[in-house]
Amino acid sequence: MGYIETPILKLGVVAYTYEGSDAIRFWIKTRGVKGMEIMELIKPFKWAESSSSLELQHEIEQFYYKEAQLLDHSQFEAWFELMEEDIHYWMPIRMNRVGREVSQEYAAQGKGSHYDDNYETMRGRIRARVSGVNWAENPVSRTRHLISNVMIKELEEPNTYEVASSFIVYRNRSERQSDIFPGERRDVLRRSEGGLGFKIARRTILIDQSTILSNNLSVFF
Amino acid sequence: MSTNLGKWTPEEIRSLIDEENGKIDPRVYTDQDLYELELERVFGRSWLLLGHESHVPKAGDYLTTYMGEDPVVMVRQRNGSIKVFHNQCRHRGMKICRADCGNAKAFTCTYHGWAYNTAGDLVNVPFEEEAFSGFKKEDWGPLQARVEIYKGLVFANWDPEAPDLLTYLSDATPYMDTMLDRSEAGTEAIGVMQKWVIDCNWKFAAEQFASDMYHALSSHLAAVVAGLPADKDLSSYEPHMKGHQFRSKWGGHGCGFYIDAARGSHRIGPIVDKYYSEGPAFEKAKERLTPLLPYDRMATSHMTIFPNCSFLPYGMNTVRTWHPKGPNQIEVWAFVVVDKDAPQEIKDELARQNVRTFSASGVFEQDDGENWVEVQSALRGYKSRTAPLAMQMGLNLEGKNNPDFPGKTSYVFSEEAARGFYSHWARMMSEPSWDTLKPQS
Repeated sequence: MGYIETPILKLGVVAYTYEGSDAIRFWIKTRGVKGMEIMELIKPFKWAESSSSLELQHEIEQFYYKEAQLLDHSQFEAWFELMEEDIHYWMPIRMNRVGREVSQEYAAQGKGSHYDDNYETMRGRIRARVSGVNWAENPVSRTRHLISNVMIKELEEPNTYEVASSFIVYRNRSERQSDIFPGERRDVLRRSEGGLGFKIARRTILIDQSTILSNNLSVFF
Repeated sequence: MSTNLGKWTPEEIRSLIDEENGKIDPRVYTDQDLYELELERVFGRSWLLLGHESHVPKAGDYLTTYMGEDPVVMVRQRNGSIKVFHNQCRHRGMKICRADCGNAKAFTCTYHGWAYNTAGDLVNVPFEEEAFSGFKKEDWGPLQARVEIYKGLVFANWDPEAPDLLTYLSDATPYMDTMLDRSEAGTEAIGVMQKWVIDCNWKFAAEQFASDMYHALSSHLAAVVAGLPADKDLSSYEPHMKGHQFRSKWGGHGCGFYIDAARGSHRIGPIVDKYYSEGPAFEKAKERLTPLLPYDRMATSHMTIFPNCSFLPYGMNTVRTWHPKGPNQIEVWAFVVVDKDAPQEIKDELARQNVRTFSASGVFEQDDGENWVEVQSALRGYKSRTAPLAMQMGLNLEGKNNPDFPGKTSYVFSEEAARGFYSHWARMMSEPSWDTLKPQS
């Protein structure tokens, strides 16, 4: 087993062969989004100078509603198809800090998170989720993803949008377990051919909890 | 030591754990009086993991945490030492510090303004001259805990009579060293605490990390799927069968580990697995640790230092304290350690693999949370609390000790370390004096 830097793929990919397997898997390093640093996505969303068009606003909201429906109806593989291959799916830890240190409320990337996934590790999570042996979600939970407060900004890169939205994810599980996860999603979306019209290139999830008030986060946001 | 026995006599407490026959009385997980006694006799007297010294690198750096249910502040001092004191103002009982972590020159209680320096000395009381007579500030600082560090891990203990940390760790240290002493550079913590809540008794979690490789074969199948190559499925997965469990000769500590293969690529990804299994860092670790144990034969491993410090060496490297929150709830406070001299790309990858595997969202951890919650829920029943639970794996199974490994070892799928854990628990709960409790030389 070993891994090698490979020039054959454009995205800054590390390829490696897996122990006991001839398959080559690709570890895709994050591809840049022009004008976007990942740590920007924990700072307050900067409003666009002018409102997005009604049509764009409608398209993106409808995309989110459809996405929520996939999650709430256990269509996890279809949901995963909405991910770009350079996806960074990240939920930084949020801390209680004194006022003068409030700028350090969120743990920096790599310094503590509840999700910090790329395409490959998300694929693994989805495989686990649909395997039938992910006991935390079998029997299945009931979830409801409510998405609102959608604000859109067009980025320098064509057909690419930074979108802030609020969410409440409710999970009801087993006989009486009940979890509420509120927060803000900070996405970078790219318009796509086919599918639901957009794909998700970045998803930073700013959860409104310091201590996660649940026995696990076996839900997607 | 005061007594807080409630309805339990020492004899009754000892009878809860039947080591000889491998039976455990489920009330150890549910009884409120036993829990109150645990706060006094277990958490009030044991060495408790608070964090890593790299969590507080500079003078004035602090983090707030708990010893049992008592809030404490852990602060780096100007002389480089670390102090741990009760996070409670002794005036009206308010928390002195209400942030999770940060850097401070002083701590001021926001209730009435009493101020403390970073050593925990009470240094200013507003209107002291006008409103007090003969008040001695030096008598009213917060309670101080003893602090000792084992290879980066910061432990604290309230009890002045308790043995020192090294004595307390007994013969468990070689197994701790497989994570903490691979390099002369030691380890560092990556990032801040992950925290989440599980409605279960703290002993389920602590016992599992001490003594339960067995559950992985059933509980963690989905985690295996998550880490398998795209062209493989569970039908190609063959669980490893070779390994051992270690039970400390004193203190209730335990560890289990695979030997001779069962590398961890499907657990921690091939990059971290490679770093921990071959190459210069591995060779260095092997050279340093071989005098203690055959490090190069070991692989995936789990460990608990009694009572509530647990970790997973060999690249998973999650370290956690199971903070008790009543008999029916814990908070998991977890962080990651890595060799301090590891390449940055290894540190980054290990941090990501840790979140993927052992965190609230971790593909391993989420299924543990499900199990423990359901066990605790079932224990509400009268029958559930009166029928003993089986803890017999490995009992009377001869010939499983492997003299190549230090201390008392048994087969990897065993409950020997669990029996050690609960036996020590029963001793701490029923023996009020360290005269009988301490390791007898």
